[in-house]
Amino acid sequence: MNDRRAFLRGASVLMGHAALGRVLTAFAATPRKAGFFNDTEMGTLRALVDVILPATDSPAASAADTHYFIDLAVPACASPAAQQVFREGLAAFAGYDKLPAAEQVAKLKARATSDIEKEYEASFFRILKDYTLTGYFLSETGATQALAYERVPGGFWGDLPLQPNQKAWAI
Amino acid sequence: MAAANQYDAIVVGSGMSGGWAAKELCEKGLKTLVLERGFDIRHITDYTTALKDPWQLPHNNRPTNADRAAQPIQSTLYLYDQSTKGMFVDDTRYPYEQAQPFNWYRGYHTGGRSLMWSRHVFRFSDLDFEANQKEGVGIDWPIRYADISPWYDYVEKFIGASGENPALPQLPKQILQPPFEMTALEKYIKAQFAKKFTDRHLICSSVAVLSREHNGRGPCQGRDQCARGCPYSAYFSSNGVTLPAAAATGNLKLQPDTVVHSLIYDEKKNRVLGVRAVDVNTLKTTEYFAKVVFLCASTLNSTSILLNTRGSRFPNGLGNDSGELGHNLMDHHNGGGATASYSGLLDRYYRGRRSTSMYIPRFRNVARKEDKFLRGYGYEFYSGRGTWTRGLGSADFGADFKNEITRPGHWSIYTEGYGETLPNHENKVWLSYDKLDKCGLPRQNISMKYGDNERVMAQQMMDDAVEMLTAAGLEDVKGFNHPVVPGSVIHEMGTARMGRDPKTSVLNSHNQLHAVPNVFVTDGSFMVSSPTQNPSLTYMAMTARAAEFAVDKLKRGEI
Repeated sequence: MNDRRAFLRGASVLMGHAALGRVLTAFAATPRKAGFFNDTEMGTLRALVDVILPATDSPAASAADTHYFIDLAVPACASPAAQQVFREGLAAFAGYDKLPAAEQVAKLKARATSDIEKEYEASFFRILKDYTLTGYFLSETGATQALAYERVPGGFWGDLPLQPNQKAWAI
Repeated sequence: MAAANQYDAIVVGSGMSGGWAAKELCEKGLKTLVLERGFDIRHITDYTTALKDPWQLPHNNRPTNADRAAQPIQSTLYLYDQSTKGMFVDDTRYPYEQAQPFNWYRGYHTGGRSLMWSRHVFRFSDLDFEANQKEGVGIDWPIRYADISPWYDYVEKFIGASGENPALPQLPKQILQPPFEMTALEKYIKAQFAKKFTDRHLICSSVAVLSREHNGRGPCQGRDQCARGCPYSAYFSSNGVTLPAAAATGNLKLQPDTVVHSLIYDEKKNRVLGVRAVDVNTLKTTEYFAKVVFLCASTLNSTSILLNTRGSRFPNGLGNDSGELGHNLMDHHNGGGATASYSGLLDRYYRGRRSTSMYIPRFRNVARKEDKFLRGYGYEFYSGRGTWTRGLGSADFGADFKNEITRPGHWSIYTEGYGETLPNHENKVWLSYDKLDKCGLPRQNISMKYGDNERVMAQQMMDDAVEMLTAAGLEDVKGFNHPVVPGSVIHEMGTARMGRDPKTSVLNSHNQLHAVPNVFVTDGSFMVSSPTQNPSLTYMAMTARAAEFAVDKLKRGEI
């Protein structure tokens, strides 16, 4: 590794920290309160994202606030039709967070089986999975702990041996 | 008034061609005004999203419904996300009429599309320059490879490009830094092609991306976020390379937020005196004067400026004696290709995000004439191992699912052809002079359809891709042949073509209007055919060539 690369990486880390600082300051000033979904829906959503992406050797989806990501992103990014399907889906899962773990898995599996062949816009499971995976794997927790992430890799090495327990790149 | 706004040269547009015109004219001592219709983007300083992590961007970089409503055309581009949306126009502000569906992707700002381009820089060859003449299609190019070759050298040395010289007559040798490394699978496929074919080669594309430091720029840091602007100046843009060179001479004035309405033509002198331009914020019109004008506003806009310059001598647009101005609009087509996977090489991976493609150079109608279609295509080629996104399509979830998709998946391959499109008089841009925007510019109408040659070629593009990936021993090979909306390859060109005969062309072999000697057009407008190769390198080389010609003529008092 040459010095120039090391220098550039160092410089970018400093710039990144400055930007991150501003984001974290803004984040800290905002209490974690849902804006789109009500408390009941948020409880259901929190349980759903953790059944899809539970804690393993990396934190669970809710530990990365994936359910809050969904609360912001679904109203902003999903089509009105998909939002409607999503709301109805959450209603069908009311009380989900109170179920025993095995029943949570079984209930979601049943829905996944019936939903997976549907068009995206009409499929609660596919919309849920889309926003859960995007919210988690592109969060700082998901990208850096569940996956591997380098903001500025410093170059491109095309053909390297896979390392033991190598995580996939987040992007 | 005239004295205050008097320059030696005016360049309209600051993108790929405009940046080069500015550099060349300024370096030759001309006081040069560059008018840019869009807002100013300063190199590095204004690349506000360049180093943001996904979680620092709204909605983890996903566009919103409001974004898509403001940019219904731009948001369909593969590059479009939260980090790049500011580089593309607000479609609601810049409407145009699609007499046939046409995707016009563009950014109105300093540097234009040189900030968001795909950076591929192949040379054309005499196979390309001679094709129209040999086949009786359109008109002949008024230049040959020998005319442009030294200018390719000149441009490549300055911009800094990397890649692999394949030593094929259809891709002339270039001045290149070492290529970016191939992945394990690409190395494997390259070796398979060498065994199975004599005319198919997998090479690393020539790209204006630095694999080594060059004149204090780069090298590439492997972010693959080029369209946000590069803080390391590792790819070529006007903002990072040509405009700073122009500014360093002290001869440049760059004026953003100023759209050119038309040229000021003096019939007695048969010269253009300058341009009429509108401040896009105050809507005030100002006249700027110069000895020579370079139109580099991008194909459709440069052509529109000429079409909007009308009078008794040129009732149908300046320099339009031939009736060809606005006609012969071309774009490439990239609907045919294939995907595949590979279950081997699971012990190999890569680090960093390579911002370049691999390339399969054209092999059709090279050594042997095809029966079914004219011309040919080259393929861009991409490989990688599966990421978390492979989990989106399945019904699976839970701990095993999470463990699986957080590890590198199987290798997959995507390749698509870039096919040549034949010139056709019926494909065109024209103006509605009675429909004016707030700056007084007439509404543009665009009509372009691909023809039979392109349709037959696209089928073969798919079939060849399937054949090659299958022969290389890949798995799950699937061909595709998607319909393409013209404009989508973002290589619109040809609407003020050059030629030897003023009766059939708008520009001469030096990008000079046949009819008005102090007007030059050096963006994609001048193209006579579309070759298969990406055209920007040729625009740059022809701009530098035209600038030398223009300054020489000025010094001799001939224009």
